[in-house]
Amino acid sequence: MKSRLRARVSLLSVMALVASLFIAATAPANAAVSRTSLIVAMSADLDYLDPAATMDNAQWKITYPCYQRLVEYNGADTDVVPGLASSWKISDNNLVYTFTLNTGNKFSDGTEVNAKAVKYTFDRLLKIAKGPADNFGDLKEVTVLNPTTVSFTLKRTSPQFLYTLAGNYGGIVNPKVANKAVNGDMGQSYLANRTAGSGAFVLTEWKKGQFIKLRQNRHYAGKKPAFTSVIFKIVGDASSQRLQLAKGEIDIAEGIPTDQLANVGKTKGIVVVNQPSLTVDYLYINNSKGNPALSKKAVRQAINYALDYKGIIDVTQAGFATQMRGPIPVGMWGHDRNLFQYTTDYAKAKSLLSSAGVSNLSIDLLYSARKPWWASEALLIQDNLAKAGIKVNLKLTDYATSRQMIDKGDFDLSLGVWSPDYADPFMFMNFWFDSGSFGLAGNRSFYSNPAVDKLIREAANITDQKKRTELYVAAQKIVVDEAAYGYMYQKNYLLPMRSNIKGFVFNPMLEQMYNLETMYKTSKA
Amino acid sequence: MLRLVRQRLAMLVLVLFGVSFITFLMSHVLPGDPAAALAGPHPSKEVLQAIRDQFGLDKPLPVQYLNYLNDLIHGNLGTSIRSQEPVLTELMRYFPTTLELITFAFIFAILLGIPLGVISAVKKNSFTDYVVRLFAVGGVSIPLFWGGLVMILVFYAKLGWFPASGRLDIELTTPETVTGFYTVDTLISGDTEAFFNSVKHLVMPAVALGYVQLAFIVRQVRSSMLDALSQDYYLTGRANGLSKRFLIIRYGLRNALIPSITIIGLSFGSLLGGAVVTETIFDWPGMGKYVTESILGRDFPAIMGFTVIIALAYVIINLLVDLLVYSLDPQTRK
Repeated sequence: MKSRLRARVSLLSVMALVASLFIAATAPANAAVSRTSLIVAMSADLDYLDPAATMDNAQWKITYPCYQRLVEYNGADTDVVPGLASSWKISDNNLVYTFTLNTGNKFSDGTEVNAKAVKYTFDRLLKIAKGPADNFGDLKEVTVLNPTTVSFTLKRTSPQFLYTLAGNYGGIVNPKVANKAVNGDMGQSYLANRTAGSGAFVLTEWKKGQFIKLRQNRHYAGKKPAFTSVIFKIVGDASSQRLQLAKGEIDIAEGIPTDQLANVGKTKGIVVVNQPSLTVDYLYINNSKGNPALSKKAVRQAINYALDYKGIIDVTQAGFATQMRGPIPVGMWGHDRNLFQYTTDYAKAKSLLSSAGVSNLSIDLLYSARKPWWASEALLIQDNLAKAGIKVNLKLTDYATSRQMIDKGDFDLSLGVWSPDYADPFMFMNFWFDSGSFGLAGNRSFYSNPAVDKLIREAANITDQKKRTELYVAAQKIVVDEAAYGYMYQKNYLLPMRSNIKGFVFNPMLEQMYNLETMYKTSKA
Repeated sequence: MLRLVRQRLAMLVLVLFGVSFITFLMSHVLPGDPAAALAGPHPSKEVLQAIRDQFGLDKPLPVQYLNYLNDLIHGNLGTSIRSQEPVLTELMRYFPTTLELITFAFIFAILLGIPLGVISAVKKNSFTDYVVRLFAVGGVSIPLFWGGLVMILVFYAKLGWFPASGRLDIELTTPETVTGFYTVDTLISGDTEAFFNSVKHLVMPAVALGYVQLAFIVRQVRSSMLDALSQDYYLTGRANGLSKRFLIIRYGLRNALIPSITIIGLSFGSLLGGAVVTETIFDWPGMGKYVTESILGRDFPAIMGFTVIIALAYVIINLLVDLLVYSLDPQTRK
């Protein structure tokens, strides 16, 4: 009895020792973030930041405020306004764009931003020939006329050219980067984890797997920003992000799943930004390389009739989305309010299938875990199509494999998201439907129709917006009728932040990016 | 003893060769194209091809493998496809991070686990024994992703004792890298505030991870201890009037430790590859997260570099375990 008691005492003492060690290491809880700094929690670390190489909005949130462009998006608007360039002239044949630069802009090391820097940026981008170069395929050459005047000569008419200049890849790079080249990489490895622009901020520290720190660029010519530092902190776990946001330890949480946001928004001190975006979630229907039945228009239409749009939006986006009406989303010019929109109609789907002479159709749905909502979306689609008599086999694979299969056309149905790089319907129509860009390049349904090719190619070759709209509307009528894709939904942009963060402007062209130079913080939430 | 060391080091060369061959084969027969995963949302055929060319992904596999071996012999682990950084630089960053976490987890597990195991064996089938065993069973049966979140909820959200994530508060200066252990580097740079802060960051992940290990240690020590205490030498010792305490520590524990050390060493080795769940919940930027993301992105140079480093570390850990057993157990010295 006595020895038992002693054992219990010794056990307790060990536990007490451990507990006291814990407490000894602790101190009072952290205070909220100071007014001059902003802390954003992101779910994963970034890859590389060279504006001539990166094609990912997630990386752009760092680079966009660190660089400036010749033209900039106008607040929440998708129009462009003067940026580094004070004005520009377009030649009568639409092939030469001449920009006059503002004076006094400086890179973060004090070097002046001039016409040479502009030329350097675009020569470098084309030579590196990564993703961004794809968006400047029409650019022939850049010529320095004098230190404040630079002209761009195009190979062909390119109505979206001005808009591509406002994208992240249009960020003007400090020509001194050339000195940092190793093995002829034109400074790619140097810019992989640094910035060299003239924007309001400059990257000062990147602790991989932990955080990225930006500080004010002291040579920035514009109005001094309210934040002296901005920290992007990696918090992989969604629940942790939610807790830290509730405690005020972070100001913005990027990684909280949509289904939790309605509740998060009710928490004191937190608001959720909710704006329509231009990101769409849609279904690739392999028109020519998948199951032969899918090459029949009636079968593709049947799929579009079988989708329970409202159910899918409610489950996967907690209702924060709108059913698509044709490929071009609301908010982008070229969207047609009167375009035909599919409804959920299982009887119609069944009759279309029997009219096409198709029965017992069994097809595969390819998807990955890249988007958290795809797993439930795939299940819903499987269930929806079963009601129309189509058996869907779910094929979950990892992202790298799914991308390769999509590029090769090795699938029947697949889930995808798309967001435009610049504010031009070209981003949807020419990418999705041109028979010359099968696979990852954009036409992921392997859809081919010479009449559509003709319409969209013509629209890409003229600059008259009214005429272009007409052409794109005509093309949309065909691709909606032919059900080239499953036109599912247009997402809302949702972002939970502390309620004392003010001045955030959502521009649908700059999704995931922040207007750090004009955001600020009030003292108390 | 020297022979053992020499033998093991010679074996290391073979192990590295075998491991690199198998990993190379396995990672390359997997479907999935790193270029397709990394080229941005809508790459043209030309851009995809340019990336494949840059990393030599189109060359025949044997050629790629020989190139890799050639680089490896020259100490070059290649460049990561995802980050465009040298793989060696990345491993030098993530490996010490993981090592620091599991070292502290094991210190916690061993310091608490061995005494608990001994007590539990000595007080076999008593109330104390039951409590200890229940506590130990918790370690293996409470899932980490849940236990870790509960810890965060209690000690971060409610009590505010420990930070929820990361290695150091963002406001503090990161210490100059010497060992890669923040707890050591902060002391070297003489920043005591950062030192205490880094310890605070370590407590929750180390305890969460250590608790799982503790469970194994307690059960292992308990059963080998029971075994040792039922041996004839123990009874003989008792019959000759030696004290129970002396016998337990000098003979019982010593014998019980030999199998336990092997188990502990092996599980330490297996965690070198990263404790993915712990690292994810507490945002510990270690090897587990690194290699998971590398595999998903088909970052071949990173996957290969990771494997080589882990194989190396595993062999070294095993060697150390053998040396430790060797010094504890006279029978192995013959």
